[in-house]
Amino acid sequence: MRLNPIVKKDVKVQSRSMKICFGVFAYELILALVFFFAMFLIQENSVYSISNIYSELVVLYPVLAITQFAILGVIVPVRTASAISGERERQTFDIMMTTGMTPFSVITGKVMTAIVQSMLFIAASLPIMALSFVVGGMSWSYLFWFFAIALLISLFSASIGILCSSICKKSVSAVIMSYGFYLIFFVATVLPVVLYEIYSVSGQYARSVVQSGQSYGENIYLLLLLNPAVYLAEFFTKIMTGESLVNEISDMTATTVKPGGPIRFVTEGHHWMIVSTILFLAVSFLFLWLSARRIDPVRKHANKQRRRKPA
Amino acid sequence: MLQIDHLYKNYGKFQAVRDLTLHIPQGDLFGFVGPNGAGKTTTIRMVCGLMLPSAGNIRINGVDALTHRKDIKKQIGYVPDFFGVYDNLKVKEYMDFYGSMYRMHSREIEKISDDLLELVNLSDKKEVFVDTLSRGMKQRLCVARALIHNPALLVLDEPNSGLDPRARVEMKELLLNLRSMGKTIVISSHILSELSEMCNSIGIMDHGNLVAAGRIEDVMEHVFGNNQLIITLEEGREMALRIVSEYAGVKINTAGEHEIRLTHRLTKQEIAKMIGVMIEHDVVVTGFHKQEGDLETLFMRVTEGDAGTEGDAGTEGDAGTEGDAGTEGDAGTGGDAGTGSNNIVGSSPAAGNNAAWKGEEENAVKSHS
Repeated sequence: MRLNPIVKKDVKVQSRSMKICFGVFAYELILALVFFFAMFLIQENSVYSISNIYSELVVLYPVLAITQFAILGVIVPVRTASAISGERERQTFDIMMTTGMTPFSVITGKVMTAIVQSMLFIAASLPIMALSFVVGGMSWSYLFWFFAIALLISLFSASIGILCSSICKKSVSAVIMSYGFYLIFFVATVLPVVLYEIYSVSGQYARSVVQSGQSYGENIYLLLLLNPAVYLAEFFTKIMTGESLVNEISDMTATTVKPGGPIRFVTEGHHWMIVSTILFLAVSFLFLWLSARRIDPVRKHANKQRRRKPA
Repeated sequence: MLQIDHLYKNYGKFQAVRDLTLHIPQGDLFGFVGPNGAGKTTTIRMVCGLMLPSAGNIRINGVDALTHRKDIKKQIGYVPDFFGVYDNLKVKEYMDFYGSMYRMHSREIEKISDDLLELVNLSDKKEVFVDTLSRGMKQRLCVARALIHNPALLVLDEPNSGLDPRARVEMKELLLNLRSMGKTIVISSHILSELSEMCNSIGIMDHGNLVAAGRIEDVMEHVFGNNQLIITLEEGREMALRIVSEYAGVKINTAGEHEIRLTHRLTKQEIAKMIGVMIEHDVVVTGFHKQEGDLETLFMRVTEGDAGTEGDAGTEGDAGTEGDAGTEGDAGTGGDAGTGSNNIVGSSPAAGNNAAWKGEEENAVKSHS
C-alpha cells in the first residue's frame, strides 16, 4: 500500500518544526497540571470521606481522557482548517491540483496528517495516562477504548476543519467557522431537546400523550446522537459504572406512557454508542466528500453550467 | 498537440475568453501575450484543468482535456506565476514529493530529479531547503518540478515576473534548452523582447479575443508588411526622390534629410537596380534595409484602440491580408489544424467584425478580429 504523499511530506515538514516540540510540551504540561489538580482534589475530599481513596482515584482516567479529547477538539480543527486555505495562501494549491492527486486524496492526505499528529500527542501523553492506570487500577481494554475514541474525535474534528478550509479562502476564517460548526453540534443538538422539555411539562401536551398511550416526542432526543458531549458522557458512564446515561431517557416517561419510534431502539443496551459512532463516522465522511467536491476545480455542478450556451 | 476550439469563459455577464480557437503543434515554444485582463491566465488555467470553460473544447494530443482529466494531468506540467514553497523541505524532498504525487517510484523519481536538477543547474542545491533559494532558483526548481513526470506540454504563466536580469537570462536559456529537446511549451509573459527571442510562435490576446496568432515572422509580416524599405543617404536627396517616384508601385512614406521610407511592390532585383540607378546619379547611398518590426511594436499595433470592438486591430488594411472580412471567419475550426503539418491557427472573432488573413507559406497563420 502506498503512503499518501501529502501525509509523508506534511509529517516530515511538521516534525522538523519546533512548533511540534512546543506543542507536545504544552500538551504534557496541561495534562500534568490537570493530573496533580485532580489528585489534590481527591485527597482533599478523602479527608472528609469515609470511602477508600483508591476507589476515588478511578476518576483520574475520565478526567485525563476528557482533558485530552478537549485539547484534541481544539487543536485538530486548527490544523486542518489551515490545510487547504494554507495551501491557497502559500499558492501551492493550484500546482497540487494539476498533479496526479485527486481532490479526495488531497483531502484524505490532509486529514490523515492531522490524525497522525493527534496520535503523536496521545502517544506522548501515555506516561501521564499510565499514572491513572497504575493508581486508578484501570484495565488495558480501557486504554484501547481511549485510543479508539481519540481516533474518532480526531477524524470528526479534522473533517469539520477541512470542510471549513475548503470553504474559506483564509485560514483564520476557516478556524472561526470550524468552532462555529462545533457550536452547532454541541448547542444546536441540545436546544430542541430543552424546548421539548419545556413544552412537555405543559398540561396540553400531557393530555395528548395520555390519550394516545404512547409518546413520540422523545424522538427529539435522537438529535443528541450527534452531540459529542453526550457521546463522551455516555461512554464514560458505561465504562466507569456499567450503566447507561441515555437509558434514563426511556425510563423518564416509562411510568406513564411508552416512548414510541426509533428512540426505543437506540436507548436499549449499547445501541446508543453504536448508532452514535456510526453517525459521527458518516458525518465525517460526508464532510470529507463535500470538501473534495469543494476543492475540485471542475466539479459536477460546474459541468452543468458548462452545457449552457454562452451569451 | 494543443487544440483549443471555440473556448469561452464567462463570469456572469463578463466574458473573460471569447470564442478562442488556437492550435499549437508539437515542439513549439508558444508565447502568449496580451495586456492585463486579456484572458491569458484564464485560458492557461482552463488548459491545465484548474478552471472549467463555459463552452468549447481543449484537446491535448487528441485527448479531450475536460473528460479525460486523469490522462491530461500526466501530459501537462504547470508553472504558475507565483512560486509557493513549503518550509522545512529540501530541494530533493520537494522533487520527491511531486514525483510521488504522480505515483512514480522512488528510484525513478531519484533518477529523473537528478537529471532535471542538473538541467536547471541546481544539482549542488539538492540538500538545501527550498525556502532559502533565490527567486530565480525557485523558479527554475519549479520548472524542474513541472517536468518530473515528463509531460508533453509545459505551461508557464509569467515565469519571469519578479526575476532579476540574470535569472531571466537563465530561465530563457532553460526554456530554449527544453525547446531543443522537443518539448511543447506555452509561456505567457509581459516581457515581449524575451518572448521574441525565444518563441517561434505567438498569440496575442486582448479583451478575451485572440487578435493574432502564428509564427512570429508571419505575424510580423502580416502586420508590418514585407514591403517597407528604408534608404539612408548622405547626399542627393532630391535626385533619389525623383528616381524613386519613377518606379510604379512605390509610395514614399516619409522623406527626411538623410532617410527615405517607402512602401513598394518591387522584387529584390528591382530594388537592387533602383539603388544602382541612384548611385549612378551621384546619390550617396549609405545604406538600405527592409523595415523590421519588433514584438513590442507589433503588440502595440495589434492591441491599439479597442481591438475587441473596433475590429481594426491586427489588420489595418496592410498588404498581406487576404480574404474579405468574414470570409474566413471560422479559420482554425479544425480541418487544417493539428493534422501533422506545422500549422498554428488562431481565431477569435470580435463582435461585428471578421477579418482574416493568411500567410503564403506552409506555416499558415490565420486570425480575425
